[in-house]
Amino acid sequence: MARDGESRSFRRKFCKLCFDKVERIDYKDDRRLTRFITDRGKIVPRRISGTCARHQSQITEAVKRARILALLPFTSEQYR
Amino acid sequence: MKLYETTVIYDPGLEEARVNEEVERMTQSITQAGGEIAEVQRWGKRKLAYMIGKRRDGTYVHVKHKSPATLIAEMDRRFRLNEGVLRHLTVVAPKEIPKVEEAPKEGEVGEKAVPSGESAGVTG
Repeated sequence: MARDGESRSFRRKFCKLCFDKVERIDYKDDRRLTRFITDRGKIVPRRISGTCARHQSQITEAVKRARILALLPFTSEQYR
Repeated sequence: MKLYETTVIYDPGLEEARVNEEVERMTQSITQAGGEIAEVQRWGKRKLAYMIGKRRDGTYVHVKHKSPATLIAEMDRRFRLNEGVLRHLTVVAPKEIPKVEEAPKEGEVGEKAVPSGESAGVTG
């Protein structure tokens, strides 16, 4: 395990939304939000995407709202 | 009164005139209750991310409005009863970000937040 960790090229994760200086994530902006859901429609966890806490909580709320409005899926179609 | 954002998905089978009529009725009920309409956006017919009641598309209308809180509950009740409405969602609109005075201060916070977030990522 440890050896795997050493050999793997390591890149520090950073919050893409802080990098882009996004002040607020809008639930209507489904194109931006699709970057933060998996192909099954799950919200990508912080440990994977590297998003900061502030933006992650905004993403979570926005994705949940967008799902209600059928802008984003709850699940992917084929697994229904 | 707070600023709200209401999005309604109408049945795609409804004619445009019917949708206009529905929107008209909604905006009138808001103004009659002492509210005001800030903006009406028509997103038109869009594909739904999942089927709602055997429908694959929906006609989206997005309204920003200032309304008394009691009206929101009433609007919610009416949307539920209205069979032409597939979905509706009302949220409190986020406060406008003040650009002129607060902006430089916010920028500083944002810049500080980035490196601290990175170091937190390493330790955590």
